[in-house]
Amino acid sequence: MLKRDDWLDLARKLDWDLSYVDERDAFPEDVSGTPWLPAAAWLGWDEPYRTSYTEYVATQHAKETAVHAVREAVGHIEDFRRLPRSWLSALKLHSATLPLAEFAAVIGNLRAARFGRDSAWRTMATFGALDEMRHTQIPLSIMHELVKWDRQFDWTHKFFHSNNWIAIAGRHLVDELLICSNPIEFAIGTNFVFETGFTNLQFIGLSSMARAAGDRMFETMIKSIQTDEARHAQMGHPVLRVVVEHDRAYAQRLVDKWFWRSWQFFAVVTGFAMDYLTPLEHRTQSFKEFMEEWVLGQFQDSLAEFGLDRPWYWPKFLAAIDIYHHMVYASAYTYRATTWFDFVVPGPAERQWLDAKYPGTFARVAPVWDRIGERWRTAGPELEWYVHGATPVGFCNLCQLVLSGGTPDANSAQPLVHDGRKYMFCSEPCRWIFEQEPARYAEHKDVVARILAGEMPANLLELLRSFGLGDNVWGKDVHGGRYPWLGGEGQR
Amino acid sequence: MLVPLYGFLHGDTLGLVILVQDTDKIRQVAANLQQAAAMRVAPTASAHVYAHGRRLPPDLTVAEAGLTALDRVDVVPEPEPR
Repeated sequence: MLKRDDWLDLARKLDWDLSYVDERDAFPEDVSGTPWLPAAAWLGWDEPYRTSYTEYVATQHAKETAVHAVREAVGHIEDFRRLPRSWLSALKLHSATLPLAEFAAVIGNLRAARFGRDSAWRTMATFGALDEMRHTQIPLSIMHELVKWDRQFDWTHKFFHSNNWIAIAGRHLVDELLICSNPIEFAIGTNFVFETGFTNLQFIGLSSMARAAGDRMFETMIKSIQTDEARHAQMGHPVLRVVVEHDRAYAQRLVDKWFWRSWQFFAVVTGFAMDYLTPLEHRTQSFKEFMEEWVLGQFQDSLAEFGLDRPWYWPKFLAAIDIYHHMVYASAYTYRATTWFDFVVPGPAERQWLDAKYPGTFARVAPVWDRIGERWRTAGPELEWYVHGATPVGFCNLCQLVLSGGTPDANSAQPLVHDGRKYMFCSEPCRWIFEQEPARYAEHKDVVARILAGEMPANLLELLRSFGLGDNVWGKDVHGGRYPWLGGEGQR
Repeated sequence: MLVPLYGFLHGDTLGLVILVQDTDKIRQVAANLQQAAAMRVAPTASAHVYAHGRRLPPDLTVAEAGLTALDRVDVVPEPEPR
């Protein structure tokens, strides 16, 4: 019997010379991507997994069985009820941002399954689409059972359908990266940068914290998903190789753009979880340490492999690793009712840990936590609104996240006037991304623009309702401000 | 006329959007932003306001200072005397 490698290419290298239709009509540049190259340029496309459909089905079946077995054992309400409350917030944040983003990736993969320029690439993209459907269904299924216990878990499904500010930011990223991009940009932005570059943060870093926190269900789910990601992420390298060969500047631009956008996403989602929402005793490393160990080294090696440069904003990125997610978390804490998960104030032990992990930079944000502590001390427990903002927040016109770039002493927000309209960006890279393709972004309305246009209310409580949040769901302090280390009346 | 401004308070972790009247004094702009950020940064008795690369006199109005909708203003609190 022939070995797999002896026959596989007969099954997946199925391109032929087109005679009834022009190649440019079968694979139009608008849909297939730039640079448009004749089929011969893609002939060498290959990836290391070389999976057959039979193998794919058998492997996925085994993975599904394993996930369901763990779910039967530790995936019920009583199991989640035993987990630390702040960890549950990390779970709610991840659960909301994961499944429908994965579903959007089904579309990106299916576009590559039709318009990718090599049939082996199209075969892999078909598997990729099936993977992403699985990644949609697993978290939706697991978290659905928890909704009757805690309504915040309903946001696992609801999040992307809402006009919550984080959802607007999420859709701005996901719509462009996963739903609208052509197969070349998808392969470089999603497979090469987002999946190869960053998802180890989740799947190695966060899963180790889930294990430490006793959340075997989340650990199993995320590891199971990662085994798929590791395979379909391999589509990125061979695409990037061809693009670098024919248009190095474009390849560099795509890498620079998607590295920054991916970084911001992970800084908020994973940075919050690792440095704040995971209880101190369960933290294995800081977010920065994970970034340095699992992202920076590997990503720089990959760039070197392709003869690409580090993104032009590299020094700004290195500075941001030290402080950006601290800026956003402190800000979001004081607007926690605008989210669907709860927040925790870092106490003296946590702050000591953060100081040690972020020498010289966490200290710049620490006065804000001093002030928040003072407000809780004055108000007493449960008076959430005394430690909460009511004034509309500024949002970046590119990433749609809050204007929390830079440091407390030097916010990096960047204005721009384009076609007579004023824009504000959280950072120079976000402004640069906008300026590269203004037609792509100029008409998008951030929350502020919607408020000023009368499409969203300015009043906080009405705004929360327009976000889809009621008082039984919106984010609160995990402990209701009752922290023994605050001292004072009612704090024990 | 109402003028929305992007306000950045020195010491704060995010930019806010404050609504002021074009007849409001610059001093009032500083006070409004400090009040809006009070749960993160303690307000002080006085503060300097910067926009378009220059410090704005506190007695000017928003219109006189040339501020228009969605301009950036930076507010730097003066340290309280000990």
